[in-house]
Amino acid sequence: MPLKNASARAQAQAPAPTTPRAQADPVGRANAAPAEGGVGATPEGGAPGEVWTHRHLLGLGSLTAAELRALLETARSFADVSTRSIKKVPALRGKVVANLFFEDSTRTRISFTLAAQRLSADVVDLTGAGSSVSKGETIDDTAANIEAMGVDAVVVRHKSSGAAALVARAVRCAVINAGDGKHEHPTQGLLDIYTLAQAHGRLDTFDLSGLTVAIVGDVVSSRVARSGIAGMTALGARVVCVGPPTLAPRSLEALGRGGPGSCVVESDFMAVLPTVDAVNMLRIQFERHTGVESAGMAVKSSPAFPSLREYSQMYALTVERAARMKDGAIVMHPGPINRGVELAGEVADGARSVILKQVTNGLAVRMAALYMCVGRA
Amino acid sequence: MPSLLITGGRVIDPASGLDKPADIAIADGIVVAIGPNLDRGHADRVIDAEGCIVTPGLIDPHVHLREPGREEAETIATGTAAAVMGGFTTVCCMPNTTPAIDDDSVVEFIFRQTELAGKCRVVPVGAVSKGRKGEELAEIGLMARAGAVGFSDDGDCVASAGLMLRALQYIKPTGLALMQHCQEMTLTRGAAMHAGTVSTRLGLGGWPRVAEEVVIERDVRLNRGVGCAYHVQHLSSGGSVEIVRRARAEKQPVTAEASPHHLLLTHDEVERHGGYWTGAKMNPPLRERDDIDAVLKGIADGTITVLATDHAPHTAESKALDFESAPFGIVGLETALALYIQALIESGATDWMRMIAMMTVEPARLCGFDRAKAGPGAGLGRLFVGGPGDATVIDPELRWTIEPAEFAGKCRNTPFAGRGVKGRAVATVVAGEVMFEMARV
Repeated sequence: MPLKNASARAQAQAPAPTTPRAQADPVGRANAAPAEGGVGATPEGGAPGEVWTHRHLLGLGSLTAAELRALLETARSFADVSTRSIKKVPALRGKVVANLFFEDSTRTRISFTLAAQRLSADVVDLTGAGSSVSKGETIDDTAANIEAMGVDAVVVRHKSSGAAALVARAVRCAVINAGDGKHEHPTQGLLDIYTLAQAHGRLDTFDLSGLTVAIVGDVVSSRVARSGIAGMTALGARVVCVGPPTLAPRSLEALGRGGPGSCVVESDFMAVLPTVDAVNMLRIQFERHTGVESAGMAVKSSPAFPSLREYSQMYALTVERAARMKDGAIVMHPGPINRGVELAGEVADGARSVILKQVTNGLAVRMAALYMCVGRA
Repeated sequence: MPSLLITGGRVIDPASGLDKPADIAIADGIVVAIGPNLDRGHADRVIDAEGCIVTPGLIDPHVHLREPGREEAETIATGTAAAVMGGFTTVCCMPNTTPAIDDDSVVEFIFRQTELAGKCRVVPVGAVSKGRKGEELAEIGLMARAGAVGFSDDGDCVASAGLMLRALQYIKPTGLALMQHCQEMTLTRGAAMHAGTVSTRLGLGGWPRVAEEVVIERDVRLNRGVGCAYHVQHLSSGGSVEIVRRARAEKQPVTAEASPHHLLLTHDEVERHGGYWTGAKMNPPLRERDDIDAVLKGIADGTITVLATDHAPHTAESKALDFESAPFGIVGLETALALYIQALIESGATDWMRMIAMMTVEPARLCGFDRAKAGPGAGLGRLFVGGPGDATVIDPELRWTIEPAEFAGKCRNTPFAGRGVKGRAVATVVAGEVMFEMARV
């Protein structure tokens, strides 16, 4: 996928680089000057670096459009590292990244681990089971202890909304939110935006004006949706939330950041489909539905709708429904997919599907997040 | 005989309508004289109340003293020290202790610990149901006989309509009130804050207004043929004010209480201090500006008659948990008076006479103190010759900053730290003894 030259508008906002390559400071500079303390220097001509001033990445809802673009532009510059035969740059050499996962996750943890390793950071894992987490230690105590061992960044996942903010208050090192309860999952939101921009030729500006994205299913329980709505509407897209009213309530419209109408809730999936440039199909998060009393993952019922059978008939993206979509409209899914429930297998594997591209882009986005929060400290 | 004279203050006694400069003499724990220029020669101790308002000892009908069971957060000794610092001479402690106050032996334990602490009066509110489980009636008759002043499963709602009806019927002949924590649990599962734009943005479970309103509406209906005194605790929603107003207009025996935080703060507080601030997590939750306005209006028009604190101490450790795991509640005894002055008098919602009534004679009426000939509450909430020697001396002009480190209670969990306020209890007198006095310039 060829990178396009930055548009006049992007240049007006962020002067200096004439091509993305020149802008690709972390990569380019890392090759030229393998950094000691050098990683802390002002990136050469780095517009993203001038915009970004945060120590943490806790959510997209608090970021400006310029800050979102800075992250995405940095991700774009990292994207081709994964395609080289030597998949490593020394941007975070000597830094330590700790994965602090209080909630189970394999793919997100591996994605963050690979991202850190491609930046030459050392990575340690602390997962919920078998660690102090299961011995009753509080989150902030655990994080402070990890930090005391000389960690530069903690990547946090937790079942409670606000857990990453709590950790950020307890430590001085960088904190990256890898999902907190029903609140935000900012790197997933960014990779969804990146993938959307990629599919619709917006990688030069990350201006999403004119694009409509449907987020379908269990929106109310979804941190992916909250990050996606915040980020996409800030960059100009219109988001339509679709689902049964118990999972896609009207109150979600308040999350749109592009003014009234930038986030709307609809219940007629069939009517929405022909109007969108992308659908993001969400998994039903039974484990987050209150009223479901079970420690296991086997629960497949929820007080929010009568049956999975009815849900699938109303809101699954089937082959027939996917056929109603516009040419060029894409199908996204944050994974893991429940094939045959929210998404037909044929659609997941079909021509519209960008699900594996999302996974690939996730690496670049997470490299960018780590680099912006840690590499420039 | 030990005697005390409070001189030179403006005495406000809402029960008698008195509002004029007067001295008050107390001997052997009993008020012996109220009038101008009382003889100070015989007094063992004199409090100069020049420039101050002198009121009957303030009564807080809703506190959590955590003893027995959660002594790391508060004890009756520390909670009553907090009370007298805030100007309260009587507090009603809620039964959500471990074990619950659900029989006469625990009621007697409360009285014994209160006597040992020797600070202010504590009168227990007994549980409606055994173990506060909402299944079977607790020993309401024995608790009433032992000195309980009302019944509540506070912390939990009496959820079952069947149990509620039986409780109203059973409590009626005691003359005491059923104090309801109004929360329909099936509407608040997983809830951590008010259901609104902030909860949507933060991904936190919402506690909607209607969960409070449907319980009040149901209870008022259940009580229609019964006529038990029914009291709505810590009312938070504008819709609830409307339901109570209608019930009172129909002459139903319904009362309601407000709490300071629901008059001064909104759900926006949760986003302060870096967000997900557990200092603003309480039950019922902080709501919106419209609710504040409706509750203020309810106070102004007499729909809401009682002011409480809902003093709910929690340790710093428990409040340091993530927002969803942290407990609900804030402390209030040390700060409520100044916050009520700010919310009600400085805003013009009501005047001193009415506000003091809502903190003295109104809660006294709720707890049956006005009808009691003897017992722990008899005569409280009023100033009269022959009555209990409880008084609060308030400096209405004293400006101060709320500083939790200075609190007398064990916990510091308040969203009001650093807030500038005006007006403070400078002396608190319980049965003729000065239990708290502030050095004044």
